[in-house]
Amino acid sequence: MHSSGRMRRRLLFDRVIGWALLLAFVVVLFPLFDMLYWIGANALPTMSWGTLTENQVGTGGGLYPMIQGTFVIIAIATAIAAALGVLAAFYTTEYAPAPIARIARIAGNLLAGVPAIVLGYFGYFLLVLYTGWGFTALGAAVTMAFFMIPYIYRTTDIALTSVPRTQREAALAIGSRRHQYLARIAFRIALPTILTGIFFAMALGLGEAAPILYTAGFSSTPITNLMQPTGTLAVAIWQFYDFPATYGHFLALAFQAAFLSIMIVLGLNVAVQLLSDRYRRRLRGLYQ
Amino acid sequence: MVGAGEEPVPEPVGRPPTELPSPERPAVATAPESRFRAWLGSPLALIPLILVLVVAAVLLIASGFRYFGPSFWSADYNFVPGSPNQSIWGIGVFVTGTAITAGLALVLATVLSLALSISIVVYLPSTPSRILTILTNLLAGIPSVVYGIWGFVILAPYFGLTLEPSLRDAIGWIPGFGGPESAIGPHGILLAVFLLTIMIIPLTTALMREAMRSVPNDLVEAGLALGATRWEVARRVRMRSARLGIGSAILLGFGRAVGESVAVAMVIGAETKLPVSLYSASTTMASFIFYQLDSAFFYPDLLQFLVEIALVLLGIALAVNLVAQRLTTAEIATSTTVGAAGAPEGAR
Repeated sequence: MHSSGRMRRRLLFDRVIGWALLLAFVVVLFPLFDMLYWIGANALPTMSWGTLTENQVGTGGGLYPMIQGTFVIIAIATAIAAALGVLAAFYTTEYAPAPIARIARIAGNLLAGVPAIVLGYFGYFLLVLYTGWGFTALGAAVTMAFFMIPYIYRTTDIALTSVPRTQREAALAIGSRRHQYLARIAFRIALPTILTGIFFAMALGLGEAAPILYTAGFSSTPITNLMQPTGTLAVAIWQFYDFPATYGHFLALAFQAAFLSIMIVLGLNVAVQLLSDRYRRRLRGLYQ
Repeated sequence: MVGAGEEPVPEPVGRPPTELPSPERPAVATAPESRFRAWLGSPLALIPLILVLVVAAVLLIASGFRYFGPSFWSADYNFVPGSPNQSIWGIGVFVTGTAITAGLALVLATVLSLALSISIVVYLPSTPSRILTILTNLLAGIPSVVYGIWGFVILAPYFGLTLEPSLRDAIGWIPGFGGPESAIGPHGILLAVFLLTIMIIPLTTALMREAMRSVPNDLVEAGLALGATRWEVARRVRMRSARLGIGSAILLGFGRAVGESVAVAMVIGAETKLPVSLYSASTTMASFIFYQLDSAFFYPDLLQFLVEIALVLLGIALAVNLVAQRLTTAEIATSTTVGAAGAPEGAR
């Protein structure tokens, strides 16, 4: 065989490339582990229960107000974004005429592409200056909802359209209305994917300081109502990260906030995995 | 099955039996009166998707682009607090900073993402590729402020004291890597580029991976049957056939890099002069808005300037996104005419 030498060379090249491409994983995953390591190494030694339960006092204390603020803002934002995002997806998959559905999908993708800082600016303009509210948790939650809506909308839309066509035909054939089909069949089948979308949006929202800094402001005491400046973990990092070394504990607070943010995001990831696994198992019968 | 135990539904009347309902154009035209339906089927739900664009339009009209003109694009920026007449409002510096950081990050991220997605789709067995996919997705979940503090505290000293001086000695003849030693400092373009690259890789990799995965199997198998190696098939069949999807992934990554504000603001050094090298401190449009908004509270003219930067930024982001969407719909059109089985997977 004359060509076997050339073939061997091509096969060798193929294997070498296969290994060389793995270098990219080293380049990408090294920063991930380096970051997790350093955040942990800087945060854990200074952390205690007080970090979770105490107010920040001077350069010391804990992060309780920011944890509270983060959860309040994300909870309200998720409620708004999930309701609107899912309803918008119901409308586009089932009711909207084709051209409107097309425009809605394009608009959804466009909204996902709007930089967070631009949304933050719009929130600042509308909900801080124009309404005269000043910095409030509510304004931040509404701004954050706009940041989250496109992700929830798009995953729900994809989940609903990928429900097997036969389910819809069967439902309509036995006389269901479209809203009954949506609420009782499509929604249940699509729920794991929808939940993934919602949790994904929450994780993104948790980490984004840009829409919150200029709508919620910052506060180092717990809030008692929604119409006052509110601290969040993401903004806490921004507030505390660049003090000179003499204010060492500020940096420790920033690292603690970073550590907690990562933990919450990881927790969300695990939760969504468990939830959607459970639903998938329960729904498996439907596809047979 | 699902409807068991629920109240019986009235029989639909007068529906032609031949017409099968399709998801795009529902054939069932009955309209039962129900609060439920009014909510589920209301176009009002689309309002948030539209509202942002309306706010942008209002801002555009209200702001009137007061500083817009030939000098708006110049690199002269000088804000003198309290004396509007002496201040100079050009966004050239910020546009330059954005273009350099996002552009370089995009080049690096494209190369790395192509390598990652070819690895995952073509070379790796399913378990390692699943684990590596989960790990790269984890990068996407890490908050951008966390990237920022990591860059500021951990990476900046290394960049300023070790990496940048040795790069300057080693490859200083390449434009951008030389320049005066004074430009070298812990904060600057190079560090921002590094952070942005890592931050956009999960997005571009996920999109490229899906694009390469949805290449019709017959094409791939035809290539392999002709005796091409896996690499040759990846290079000439998968990459070529998924080129529109890859292009759209690159554009969406660019959009993400352009819009990233917090992490960049923490490491780029907030310098409002044109950079002399990649080691120089600089500013981008997004990061400038981020750290100037609180002083803008007190100075209406600065606030006005920030509106205009935000609108330019929004314009860039929307344009990039629209083109990316055109590319993916074009790809769906071609892949279905080629005879692909099923539509490409929806990517986030």
